[in-house]
Amino acid sequence: MQNTGISNYTAFILPGLIVLVIFGASSSGGIINFIMKSSGSFYRILIAPVSRSSIVLGQMLEAILLSFVEVAILFIVSIFFSVTVASGITGIMLMILLIFLTAFFMSSLAYAISLLLPNEVIYETIMTAIVLPIFFLSSALFPTENLSPGLAIAVKLNPFTHMIDALRSLILREKIIFGHIFFVTVLFLVMCSVSFAWAMWRLNQETTN
Amino acid sequence: MPAIEIENLVKEYKNGVKALDEFSLQVNSGEIFSLLGPNGAGKSSLINILTTYYKPTSGKVTMLGRDLSKNSAWIRQQIACVAQHISIDLHLSLLENMIFQSRLYKVDSKIAKERINSLIDSFELSRYLKYPVASYSGGVKRRLDIAMNMVSLPKILFLDEPTVGMDAISRRAMWKMLLKIREEFNTTIFLTTHYLAEADQLSDQICIMRDGKELVQGTPGSLRQYTRQNILRITFSNAEQTKKISDELDKMELIKFTDLRANSISAGVDDSRRAFTAVNKWLLDHHVEFDAIEIVEPDLEDVFIGLIGSGKTEEE
Repeated sequence: MQNTGISNYTAFILPGLIVLVIFGASSSGGIINFIMKSSGSFYRILIAPVSRSSIVLGQMLEAILLSFVEVAILFIVSIFFSVTVASGITGIMLMILLIFLTAFFMSSLAYAISLLLPNEVIYETIMTAIVLPIFFLSSALFPTENLSPGLAIAVKLNPFTHMIDALRSLILREKIIFGHIFFVTVLFLVMCSVSFAWAMWRLNQETTN
Repeated sequence: MPAIEIENLVKEYKNGVKALDEFSLQVNSGEIFSLLGPNGAGKSSLINILTTYYKPTSGKVTMLGRDLSKNSAWIRQQIACVAQHISIDLHLSLLENMIFQSRLYKVDSKIAKERINSLIDSFELSRYLKYPVASYSGGVKRRLDIAMNMVSLPKILFLDEPTVGMDAISRRAMWKMLLKIREEFNTTIFLTTHYLAEADQLSDQICIMRDGKELVQGTPGSLRQYTRQNILRITFSNAEQTKKISDELDKMELIKFTDLRANSISAGVDDSRRAFTAVNKWLLDHHVEFDAIEIVEPDLEDVFIGLIGSGKTEEE
């Protein structure tokens, strides 16, 4: 880790790992749709007197809860590698907000994609094809300062780079850069709105055969 | 007030398949209504529309006095549907499945508890309480499926081919259960089936449909001429001879219609015993070689031919 300015690599990659476990938990949430369709529960719930938004949110919240459980385990393990949240309680609260937004966006995206595809095998292939490039083309594993210009643009355009950087700054720095946190929050609020609207639209499409 | 009124319902899927074509029917409150038809007749499409899952292309559906297109949220609270495939959560226990269903239908938890206990008794499920749902037999799973759908005490219960794949004993147990639901809860039951005997035994009203259209609707008594037809089946060793004899049988006075199927002829008759003797004698007198001659229960295909009036009936 010489010449990179990184004193604790575990603390450095923890935000990337947080985003990665959120990707995994959210993708699993999408698979539930295939299981529910084959078991008949999907039809049973759709004809029940439950609003469509409750159906989507119920399933998404399961993925979000699972994400938080996995992130909590990551944090507990990271304590043994001397990782602390330098920004204190305020930083932890902001991290919870950012993790929620990431999980909300990914779970609604996974929900919409799962209703678009015919089976879980294709779904898993597509999700892997989405998740892995997003993960590797971000600042999850390495600092972005010395990247080639083309790669640097791709990494900067990736919204998850900003999410990971925001989480990283809350873990590593005592001083909170509220301007950056605000920008990431607004960016993800917009993305969450779009992906949730898409998930709702896809569910409504299921009944307009 | 009729429980269901359907007028000129059309369902055309995006791929161009017309599942329902100007379909109309009426179901009265508190009765068991059977919709009879072969695979692909449009039965499941109709159930999917009536349970608010699909939207119709055109036509009007009124359920419990309200327009389905404008009151689907209200109608969802009044109905329940036992789908063709058993729909229970195998990772939940019997009680958890029923509690989940009661919460889906927003049944007060105290009322739900009493109702669940009563349904477990009515459907004789108490001895399965301690076993995991995944270990239940198909018949018990189906019983639980129906019991779950009764938790909300629906005014109309839809059952999409509930006895398909069941053995004769399980099927009779299911009939008993449906009659019990009607008696105990005064629920209107709308079921689809392709078993003639089932519709005949259970229903107050039967509608026979094919290719998205209703062919006939009435009480089992009024449809008995179709559902209890006298059918004579003669089997031959080759298709050529079967065709030749079919043409000859068509000319006979006591044959109402004939239906040619591979190496056999199904002949509709008025008096099966008299026809059996006469046709048998004719075949022997004309030295016709045949493999078998028998009086058989009509299947759906026979009923349709009787309804559509093929062969001789049509010519007349």
